[in-house]
Amino acid sequence: MPANHRNRIDRRSAVQLAAGGALGLSLPALLRAKESSSEKPPAAKSVIHLYLTGGFAAQESWDPKPEAPTDYRGSFNVIKTKTGHHFSENFTRMAGVADKMSVIRSMHCKIPDHGQAAYHLFTGYVPTTVIDYPQMGAVVSQQFGPRQNLPPYVAIPDKVSSTGGTGYLSSKYGAFELHADPGGRGEFKVKDFALPAGVTRKQLDRRRRARTILENRLRQQGVDETQLGTMDEFYQRAYTLLSSPEARAAFSLDGESQATRDLYGSGYVLSYRRQPAAIGARLMMARRLVAAGVRLVTVRYDGWDNHVNIRGAFTDKAPALDHSIAGLLTDLDDRGMLDETLVMITSEFGRTPRINTSNGRDHWARSYSMILAGGGITRGQVYGASDATASEPAKNPVSLEDFLYTVYHQLGIDANNELLAFGIRPIEIIKGGKLVKGLLA
Amino acid sequence: MRQLFSLLLAATAAIAVADEPVVSFRRDVMPVLFRAGCNQGTCHGSSRGKDGFSLSLFGYDWKGDYFRLTQEIIGRRVNVAVPEESLLLLKATGAVPHTGGKRFDKKTAYYQTLRRWIEQGALSDAGDVPEPIAITLSPPKILFDGDAQPVQTRVMAQYSDGSSHDVTSLALYYSNNPSTAAIDQHGRVTSANRGDTYVFARFNRFTIGSEVIVLPSDADYKWSDPPAHNYIDELVFDRLQKLQLLPSALSDDETFLRRVYLDLTGVPPGVADYTRFIEDNRVDKRVRLIDALLESEDFTDMTTGLWAESVRLMGGGYTPVATDLKAAEAYYQWIKNQVKQNRPLDEFVYDQVTASGSNLNDGPTNLYTMLVHDVRFRPKNFAADFSQLFLGVQIQCAECHNHPFDRWTMDDYYGFVSFFTGITRKPGAEPREFYVFNKRQASPANHKVDGRPMAATVLGGAAPVDAQLDSRIALAKWLTSPENKLFARNSSNRIWARFFHRGLVEPVDDMRISNPPTNGPLLDELARRLVKYQFDQRQLIRDICNSRTYQLSSQPNATNQLDDRQFSRARLRRLRSDVLLDSIIKVTGWDRPFRNFPKGTKAIEFYPRTPGDTAQPLWFDDFLKTFGRSSRNSICACETKPEPTLSQTLHMLVGDNTNSAIRAGLVPQLLKQGKSPPGIIEELFIRCVSRKPTSDELAAMLDLVGDEVEGRAAYEDILWSLLNSTEFSFNR
Repeated sequence: MPANHRNRIDRRSAVQLAAGGALGLSLPALLRAKESSSEKPPAAKSVIHLYLTGGFAAQESWDPKPEAPTDYRGSFNVIKTKTGHHFSENFTRMAGVADKMSVIRSMHCKIPDHGQAAYHLFTGYVPTTVIDYPQMGAVVSQQFGPRQNLPPYVAIPDKVSSTGGTGYLSSKYGAFELHADPGGRGEFKVKDFALPAGVTRKQLDRRRRARTILENRLRQQGVDETQLGTMDEFYQRAYTLLSSPEARAAFSLDGESQATRDLYGSGYVLSYRRQPAAIGARLMMARRLVAAGVRLVTVRYDGWDNHVNIRGAFTDKAPALDHSIAGLLTDLDDRGMLDETLVMITSEFGRTPRINTSNGRDHWARSYSMILAGGGITRGQVYGASDATASEPAKNPVSLEDFLYTVYHQLGIDANNELLAFGIRPIEIIKGGKLVKGLLA
Repeated sequence: MRQLFSLLLAATAAIAVADEPVVSFRRDVMPVLFRAGCNQGTCHGSSRGKDGFSLSLFGYDWKGDYFRLTQEIIGRRVNVAVPEESLLLLKATGAVPHTGGKRFDKKTAYYQTLRRWIEQGALSDAGDVPEPIAITLSPPKILFDGDAQPVQTRVMAQYSDGSSHDVTSLALYYSNNPSTAAIDQHGRVTSANRGDTYVFARFNRFTIGSEVIVLPSDADYKWSDPPAHNYIDELVFDRLQKLQLLPSALSDDETFLRRVYLDLTGVPPGVADYTRFIEDNRVDKRVRLIDALLESEDFTDMTTGLWAESVRLMGGGYTPVATDLKAAEAYYQWIKNQVKQNRPLDEFVYDQVTASGSNLNDGPTNLYTMLVHDVRFRPKNFAADFSQLFLGVQIQCAECHNHPFDRWTMDDYYGFVSFFTGITRKPGAEPREFYVFNKRQASPANHKVDGRPMAATVLGGAAPVDAQLDSRIALAKWLTSPENKLFARNSSNRIWARFFHRGLVEPVDDMRISNPPTNGPLLDELARRLVKYQFDQRQLIRDICNSRTYQLSSQPNATNQLDDRQFSRARLRRLRSDVLLDSIIKVTGWDRPFRNFPKGTKAIEFYPRTPGDTAQPLWFDDFLKTFGRSSRNSICACETKPEPTLSQTLHMLVGDNTNSAIRAGLVPQLLKQGKSPPGIIEELFIRCVSRKPTSDELAAMLDLVGDEVEGRAAYEDILWSLLNSTEFSFNR
């Protein structure tokens, strides 16, 4: 008991000292005040969100733990990155562009369950039965609206259903899904994106006018203006997409040179059904959309739930992923787009520190890695660190809320702001997130 | 040694404060932890605790909480030697840094209670402590009629020893809609914008609500006194008057015809149906139409399809999950037969719950295979799904803690799970076949906190069911009994929701004390009638469709523009994906195939039939997927997504379904019949939106046709515009 007693006093006074110290430092607060008053334009104008579904292993990629015990360390040898850190050897190209990004090695979240964690990642909230929260893409749509007549939020090739939707916001802010894979087999064509054969422009125009005649009757009767307005907005957007040559060009890969295709990596074939590794073309598509005016693009890339033979899975899939990410960052930078395009590379959680009996790793939410690049994020750093076995964050832990708050911040959205759910109930965009200053350039 | 020490200490403490009443841990201390928010989910009540200290969520496990406060780290959280130095008090008053901040100060009764309890030796309770058995919140109804004086509420708790105490200062409060009425942490209610809502008090494991109505202060309101068609209107109108809303006018015949066709049969009326009804001059023609549609095959198909979706009916080819195509079809046909014969709902459910036998031959046994779509049965899934589906109640929260916003406890949950621990299947005569049966000697589920075996007990039941009885029969009897209000209310609410696209409780599968109906007396009466009709659902539907409320126009008046929950007008309701597709098919005469189904199948009859596994979200039809049909991945009502999207718009605009439908041959056929341009346009209008064009519309459309009177293109464009109109894709 005496030992406890002493401990407590020691800890108490230590904490009090720390608190006092923090109060003395008014500088950060001052800086913050200055920042908001100067109203400088947001650093990032667009976001490309690469979502690696399943729970991507940091140990086999960007946090390989070469000195951990055999059961824990990454399954591959390591290489030095351009910034002098270690990556797993199957991420050679990314190692070569490590000077363009911040690798966050101290991520931690709450739930090692795919559905719930994916929802948390996309919305910033753990799912509840009471309120359905909107995805970041929906919030960005709602805050900024369309740019250059393009849908503000696009999902390539489609959105993962467990990641939520527009939640309490109107469905008009939802992701526009391509329902087609730019990296798949055969010709790439966005679904329902061209007039059917035999229907002329003139006819489309007549259809449009005929529809307006019909809508006017309901409008004159005063029937449900909000609903009519939403439908109208969808039709306006759809007409624009179908008739604007710029918009149509954005949704195709036509005109991309072989050199550019090679930059993102082409010709990779995966062992499962010998299908092409679609990721290079998907990321190239994302760059085109962002360049044309889309505000937030999510790219999904499946297959990282590696409970079994994780080394085999990474040997198969990592080269194409490595090539495409390095290609995207290089391409954006060469075009002068990286500074205004925030690239986020995420997964719903990480994987267990220790290799299991099936030579795989299981779900682990307490420590994992994610990457941010461009859009005003520090170039060439590793932020935070996991402990010796990648079990817990050891330095500068970053919660999902902090991570998302920081992304919102770079877009010029104060995520402490509240949105109105159901027109009446204010809810913070992100609850309890902090700006991670160490990530900002 | 330590024991002796604390005994000694307790003795001294007791002597020192002999004139003070003894503070009970369970009766006095636990409520303070609850009220101060210590054991809520975001703080120490989280499953991992917070900052190294964990409490049971909202105090469902007092023994564990007592241990963690007094014994986990002796002398730290509770220090009987120097009570003021107890971390519990230091943290709560913010004397040391505390993530949760300062919860209360030293002057409060909360502090005094905790401190006195520690002074008295931080003892656990000896023997039985009176338990709260109910709470009341008064006043039960609060009306703000233009005056803004706050109202103080009062919470009383009744205890098992017959005593009752004022616990206003120990309860927690919240409002379902603070922009209508807010309630502060002293239980004081203040009014804001016009509307109705509930405020709630929570104490111990109980939640209770009071209704609040806020009326505008400058109201110049006069009830329009429309004639009530039946009891539904009386109860709706009563509510509207209280809220100073006026109902819209009665809808015209064309609107009513289309509405009732879509809701009852899942397709719009044909041209002949239209003409017959509009030319009918009898005063009771709406009543007659409703009767006729209730007997139609389309009504049976739609009702069957809705049931099949709610039980996740799908046919697979992966034999170990027992949801083979043949099993699915046996189940589907069984459901269809019951609906066709108008089997009473209680018997319909009873048969499924108690079904035993082969999944291939005994259709209803597949309630069990379809709810899990897995290689083994899962009693907890059954418990959660049965309560959600048949009672509209979500009890799964109570797996880990007492339901925070409803009456369900962990005892309820585990007692209910025990009904399903014996449900088993064994391989049948061929790989696709399994026999479903109930193993009588199965051991019950164990309580999560203390591992106690919990004998099968109905929700809210005081004692386990008769162990002599087959537990499934006991369950089915209770479920479908006329006395089981939950069952009748859930059935009525779901039926109501089919016709208004909004339940009286919404979502329909989340009935709880803290989610009360928007018109409680109406839901009670519907449930009472359903029981009185001996669960004849057609009779209840007949009442609903004949009510003036159902037949109101969607044109708003000055009072009800914003009303979307009191049924003062018809709302625009997006058609279900399958109803929309069937409508497109019917109005254009398109012969559309459905994957793995014979020709002529309707979308409402379609369910996924796969050669593979059914244990994943499945649509199997691109149109239905795009338009938000349930993927049947869970029984949640939220699987159906009625919101419009850009992809849907593009699909209606240029997608292959619309295009094929328009080109299916309707326009050439009309041209061949030698109809005049106005005649063609009129027929297209009647087919698609069940009304004739107004003279302005007709003129404008003819103008668009111009001199292309003989080609198909112009008429097809008009047909396209009709399919793409809000009038077509919504019911109004």
